Amino acid sequence: MKNFIINKFFILLSLILFSCSDQSEEKKTINIWHQMPYSQREIFQKICTQYEIENPEIKIQILYRETEELRSSFQSAAMGGSGPELIYGPSDQVGPFSTMEIIQPLNNLLEPEFINQFESNALIKYNSKLWMIGDVIGNHIMLIYNKDLIQSPPKNTNELIEMGKSFNKDFDSDGKIDQYGLVWNYTEPFFYVPWINGFGNEWIINDNIPNLNTQSNIEAFKFISSLRDVHKIVPQECDYETANAMFKTGKAAMIINGDWSWGDYKDIINFGITRLPMVSETNRWPSPLIGAKGYSININTKDDKLLETIKLLKYLLSKDVQLIYTENLNTQPSNKLALKSELIKNNELLKESSKIIEVGKPMPIAPEMRAVWDALRTEYQSVLGGIKTADEAAKSAQLNSIKNINNMNEVLKSDYSLTILKLIILILLIVLIIKLKGLIKVTYNDIKKDSFSYIILFPSIFIVAIVVLYPFLYNLAISFSNFSLKTFNNWELIGLHHYINVLSSTIFYSVLFKTVLWTSINIIFHVSIGVFLAILINRTLPLKPIIRTLLIIPWAVPQYISALTWRGMFNQEYGSINLVLNKLFGMSPIQWLNQPLEAFSACILTNVWLGFPFMMVIALGGLQAIPQELYDAAKIDGANRWQQFKNITIPMLLPVMIPAIVLGTIWTFNNINVVWLVSNAGEPSDQTHILVSYVYKNAFNLYRYGYSSALSIIIFLLLLIFGINFMKKTNATKSVY
Amino acid sequence: MIKKIEHIIIFTFLTTFTLITLFPILNVISISLRTDNAFQSNSLSIITKSEPFQDLNNNNKFDKGEPYEDINKNFKYDQGSSLISYKKLFTETKFLTWLKNSILISTITTIFGVILASFGGYALSRSKFIIKSKVMLGLLITQMFPATMLLLPFFIILSKINLINSYLGLIIIYSSTALPFCLWQMKGFYDTIPYSIEESAILDGCSKWLIFYKIIIPLSYPALVITALFSFMASWSEYIIAAIILQDPNYYTLPLGLKMFQSSLSTQWGLYAAGAIIVSIPVIVIFITLSKYLVSGLTLGSVKE
Repeated sequence: MKNFIINKFFILLSLILFSCSDQSEEKKTINIWHQMPYSQREIFQKICTQYEIENPEIKIQILYRETEELRSSFQSAAMGGSGPELIYGPSDQVGPFSTMEIIQPLNNLLEPEFINQFESNALIKYNSKLWMIGDVIGNHIMLIYNKDLIQSPPKNTNELIEMGKSFNKDFDSDGKIDQYGLVWNYTEPFFYVPWINGFGNEWIINDNIPNLNTQSNIEAFKFISSLRDVHKIVPQECDYETANAMFKTGKAAMIINGDWSWGDYKDIINFGITRLPMVSETNRWPSPLIGAKGYSININTKDDKLLETIKLLKYLLSKDVQLIYTENLNTQPSNKLALKSELIKNNELLKESSKIIEVGKPMPIAPEMRAVWDALRTEYQSVLGGIKTADEAAKSAQLNSIKNINNMNEVLKSDYSLTILKLIILILLIVLIIKLKGLIKVTYNDIKKDSFSYIILFPSIFIVAIVVLYPFLYNLAISFSNFSLKTFNNWELIGLHHYINVLSSTIFYSVLFKTVLWTSINIIFHVSIGVFLAILINRTLPLKPIIRTLLIIPWAVPQYISALTWRGMFNQEYGSINLVLNKLFGMSPIQWLNQPLEAFSACILTNVWLGFPFMMVIALGGLQAIPQELYDAAKIDGANRWQQFKNITIPMLLPVMIPAIVLGTIWTFNNINVVWLVSNAGEPSDQTHILVSYVYKNAFNLYRYGYSSALSIIIFLLLLIFGINFMKKTNATKSVY
Repeated sequence: MIKKIEHIIIFTFLTTFTLITLFPILNVISISLRTDNAFQSNSLSIITKSEPFQDLNNNNKFDKGEPYEDINKNFKYDQGSSLISYKKLFTETKFLTWLKNSILISTITTIFGVILASFGGYALSRSKFIIKSKVMLGLLITQMFPATMLLLPFFIILSKINLINSYLGLIIIYSSTALPFCLWQMKGFYDTIPYSIEESAILDGCSKWLIFYKIIIPLSYPALVITALFSFMASWSEYIIAAIILQDPNYYTLPLGLKMFQSSLSTQWGLYAAGAIIVSIPVIVIFITLSKYLVSGLTLGSVKE
């Protein structure tokens, strides 16, 4: 019977495997990965289908990924020798991609006449080679206003402030502002840098040299803070989603947003667009960054496929296709012929938009920009959070940008520690071989004695080992290497550099401290709430099964969904937590997300909510296993409730809870989802990181793979030491062993 | 009498706590019912009526009860709750394909996980290996490495053995991520089954396979159910690994599909929330049906006889 089931299972398995590899080979498939917003995807699909009809031998496979994910998954795919033929995305991905050598220069693939068809700001060059051709120009931010409220938009910042004040309205006079003059995602540096230009200085020179320690940057810092704190025309807390929702529901008269939002507003609100208002002090216009979005060709695309891909690329960039986008989404085409068409000339939005583009600056695309953005974001948010003065922040923004850039660009050479490392590995290997020899011998005898156990255990061990072992060893190797942005394809072992680097930096210890705090607070709450609820539920109560099930729900809902929901609930003015606190206790709103301590508490609150059901269920199981006779006997002996709890419940529950606590600690220590999603990747100012999110940020945002691997090995060792010690100390796992 | 009062107090406390617990979920439901595709709202009510939000022309006619003319078509601002997102989800997206894929992958992962854990756990519980404690610790250790750093190597190894874009690659990884926990938990349960039962069977001349199959498995239903549940959960809502392995939208699982509604700076919140609710429903239903076993079956380290 069992054999039958197993046989069936394997047949099923092979069927699935087969069905997956069964792709029609007659047609040539061209893969395109993109990050187009929802409204654009449908049109893109139609355009591709049209091409398939005209070229029946081609099949186009489209894959959507969110911008950041697109970048990281394309990196791993191209590095693994596969990936899509064409990749579509914003121009700033060209910097990293071309440095890693995972896209091809287009100069040699396309004839000059073809290239000359396009506006120069759509031809994305880096190190004097052409890497991407854009089909859409823009991605720039502007002032968007509600035409129902505003007839003529503000021309300069003084007008902006005046007008903003006149639209701050408290309709129901409850002391809370119901309509704001201006909203936008002002904590994000992309929305901030145009103002630096507005105050006079460039913030970036030659596309990759930061120039942040300037008077203009200081002035701009002060200007944004004053909009919030002095003139109060923007809300205290306002991320992108909040700003967007407020503008759409008419609760904000103006918003600063990009051209991508037009489609979203089109059917909902009667809106107009204009330049960001001129800075009154300097009489200069703020310069929004003008980017492009377009196609690059994967380095792994060769021979016939390459020819087909180029053909498709030409179609996708053609005048007709670009005009389809313009017609539906009001995008600014890059094809010179398309720009001359009537459709463009008669489009009011585009007319206004091109006026905005006139004062813009091209989006810098060098890979170093990530380092600059990151440093600027941290310091900018410190100013907004009142942690640093504008002068200090400008200074350290500059210093940290330079430091980040150096970290990113360093190509480390091997040093003497490599020899030490090799020696250690050799010694370890010898010890391992000697130990293993003994172990194998003993195990061999053991297998003969009890072959049954080994046979049934082997498959589990095998599958866990293959999945875990290789990635682990790979990481170990990387942690001793100089794997980074510049050495993506030719990394080599260099020794212990990264370990020394991690262990000698103060930031490691402060993040470690936060992680320990995070883990212990979470576990304490998980266990105490869980056990407490379990004890209550364990009585005979009406509706017991229903309550029990409802309390398990936080565990059942996918983590990323609940984490995002909690982030929304923590919003200062519109989040339900502050609304409830205000209604029930009359508390003034707490700034959950833009103060370090509060943001960290917000993450902990979310994770406590997520984690207590697991402990509750474990505790319930433990409670039910305690024989009632014990309590009966205790009652006869005259023990009161508390004594019963202390002397029976706790000792009997402990062996059940200890393994759960060990597992829970490990899971919580390594839980990246909650921190990453609730604090929006460590905001404010990277103050809410725990070790895993810090690892993630360094590896995937700053390309410091070697450093991150070393850090993750250190995390692993820390947990290992904790796990072994804890189990030894409590001794309670005897029942497990 | 005292007992009754005590009951009432406990009951009220539990009900309040449950309501607080459910609050974020209600929030998601509320977003899924909205029509303006927004994530934030400043009202606490879940269902909103279709009514003009405010008189945005600021002449406050509406507030004073004067006849209201919707000059600016403010009705657009809040159209009240509707099920439109759910309808869209099923008719305009590939939701059913994702659902099918997710069910397939999760089911196979579950079967795989239950078989492996029920065997392995038994070996760990009953036999006196020399390497047993090392295996138990080894399983725990696998949980200690930060999973995010495993992504790149995962991708490289899977593309080497040609398992990118296949269910099999995903199933293997999912099975093994839940397996250490499941092995621990099965072992804990087997430990509670008295060995004397098996001893008597051995005296009757039963083989080890027969004992396992005829005696142990039927006794272990609650624990098997829990193991199944954990394997299922590990695969049902997993996103990060699926995102690197599956590159063809036709193979997408539910979490991947849902993520498609989310793009930087323009998310389809209505669809996203509606999808989230529907993804959660099967898990909740399973939890409800299994709640009987959930408590008796989950025994990580057990109270021995």
